[in-house]
Amino acid sequence: MSRSGSQWTQRPSLPPSHYVDARLYTDERLFAEEKERIFASSWFVACHQSELPKRGDFRTVAHPAGANLVVVRGDSGPRAFYNVCPHRGNTIVYEPAGNGASLTCIFHQWSFDTQGRCIGIPREREGYQERLCKADFGLRAVRTEVDFGGFVWVNLDDRAESLADYIGEALDGMRGCLGSEPLEVFSFHRVIAHTNWKFWNDTNSEFYHDYIHYFNRQTSMLQQGYFERKYLPFRNGHVVVGDQIVEYEAYKGGENRTLTFPTLEPNQWKLTILFPGMAYNVRGSSMRVDSVVPLAPGKVAIEYRGLGLLRDTPAERALRIRDYNSIWGPFGRNLHEDQLAVHGQGLARGSGQTFIVQAREENDTIHDEVGMRAFYAEWSRRMGRQAHDPYPLPQLDAPLIAEYLS
Amino acid sequence: MLSQPAPPREHLDLVGDLVYQSVELLDESLWNEWLALCADSFVYKIVAFSPEIRHDMVWLEHGLQGMLNLVDLLPKHQSDRSRLTRHTSLYRVSQRDDGDYDAVSSVAVYRTTLDGGVTTLFALGKYYDSARVEAGRATFLSRTVRLETRDLGLGTHFPL
Repeated sequence: MSRSGSQWTQRPSLPPSHYVDARLYTDERLFAEEKERIFASSWFVACHQSELPKRGDFRTVAHPAGANLVVVRGDSGPRAFYNVCPHRGNTIVYEPAGNGASLTCIFHQWSFDTQGRCIGIPREREGYQERLCKADFGLRAVRTEVDFGGFVWVNLDDRAESLADYIGEALDGMRGCLGSEPLEVFSFHRVIAHTNWKFWNDTNSEFYHDYIHYFNRQTSMLQQGYFERKYLPFRNGHVVVGDQIVEYEAYKGGENRTLTFPTLEPNQWKLTILFPGMAYNVRGSSMRVDSVVPLAPGKVAIEYRGLGLLRDTPAERALRIRDYNSIWGPFGRNLHEDQLAVHGQGLARGSGQTFIVQAREENDTIHDEVGMRAFYAEWSRRMGRQAHDPYPLPQLDAPLIAEYLS
Repeated sequence: MLSQPAPPREHLDLVGDLVYQSVELLDESLWNEWLALCADSFVYKIVAFSPEIRHDMVWLEHGLQGMLNLVDLLPKHQSDRSRLTRHTSLYRVSQRDDGDYDAVSSVAVYRTTLDGGVTTLFALGKYYDSARVEAGRATFLSRTVRLETRDLGLGTHFPL
């Protein structure tokens, strides 16, 4: 039975953990708070160390809290800084990647070394005499750690917990894939999607949407073990999806993977979703890592990286790339479908829908929406708001009202 | 030094016509008719250079059978059904030492929505084709689509 306008806006008869208020996907104020309360203090995948193989290599990064960063490889490894000249606030590095002995601002030629120290100010003594010295004008350093597969992680909050504490045990099941030997990025693409960033995370956090994927239906859903896969929530809102052996040949023209990742069984699939907007996804011979950079309530940049092993021969690498592209990348069979779904969710905002349901319970197995619920529990904790009711009406204080009325 | 004899004009024209014919067929989503213009050894690739990772990337690569499978399964998938229309200009056709031909063309792919018919630029790039002329007929040996555009929005399931 269809519903009237008032029925359409009624709160569902479900536990509060099983639905969220749709304003979470559109509200400007909540979006600003997310940047401040979530992204400004969360660890974020800035890039991978293979993007900076040599001393002096740099890589610019748009951070989800809004800061523009530059990651530079010095003698002690990659370090991140704000990509802002402390002199007049100009952007220092414009190219997404490159190499230089120092970083020099094009505006007035102030220069900085790989430690972020200011090492050059043109006509310094003539202009500043003894009143200003280079030592006081270094770049703003950002906490940087390289871990979990050689990714360069950054955190804008100097007092945040360590990366290891933040991730906890969520990537333990992938330790062998990530830590046995060096990885290398072979594909990078960024998409600006006109949807809310959490819709992308929702899609990564539930597998009920496998119905949109013909490829996954054939190679996974119809195969043994699919419905036994468990979702396992971890501290800080991370979620691990149970492993599966995928039958790639069940898709016409598909081929089972001849290569694997270290410690992975042939055709095995492992997935971990990391709060607030990252995912590590290893399928057979290749790995995909997502990171989201929210730009507006209805706009998000999603970065996708494809990885193989650094030691790959050209033939092995070509095979991994082919496997990766069969489902992922801009022409992959699955990724396009996922993006269509979140695009559609973005289009539908403004239709007056007031609640989004995440109520499937199937003993924490693959079509259970426990992954989404774990995400919104952490979202609520960080935001100091309830995802099902972010703007509760103030409770009436009866004695106070009585006093006022008297 | 002996100079190479000039390639027959009609061969150059056949290769140029082949490029334009492929674009017409692709625009009409006549995938199998397009693939019928390709040799059994045909290889199709979509590539792009990433300034971010400073590497060439391969985003799609299949032989003829792989492409036939791909287009055969298109109806099974959920795809953005916006029309993709290609604008191509043939830059040059040249004969290689082995007698086959190379053709370079620009391609701009436009996306037109079904609802409202809004047209936007989807991707910009070049076709690098190789072709063989035999018995008065030109056949594709390979096509590499080299994209400048790397943010392809929703992406696509369709060949460009």
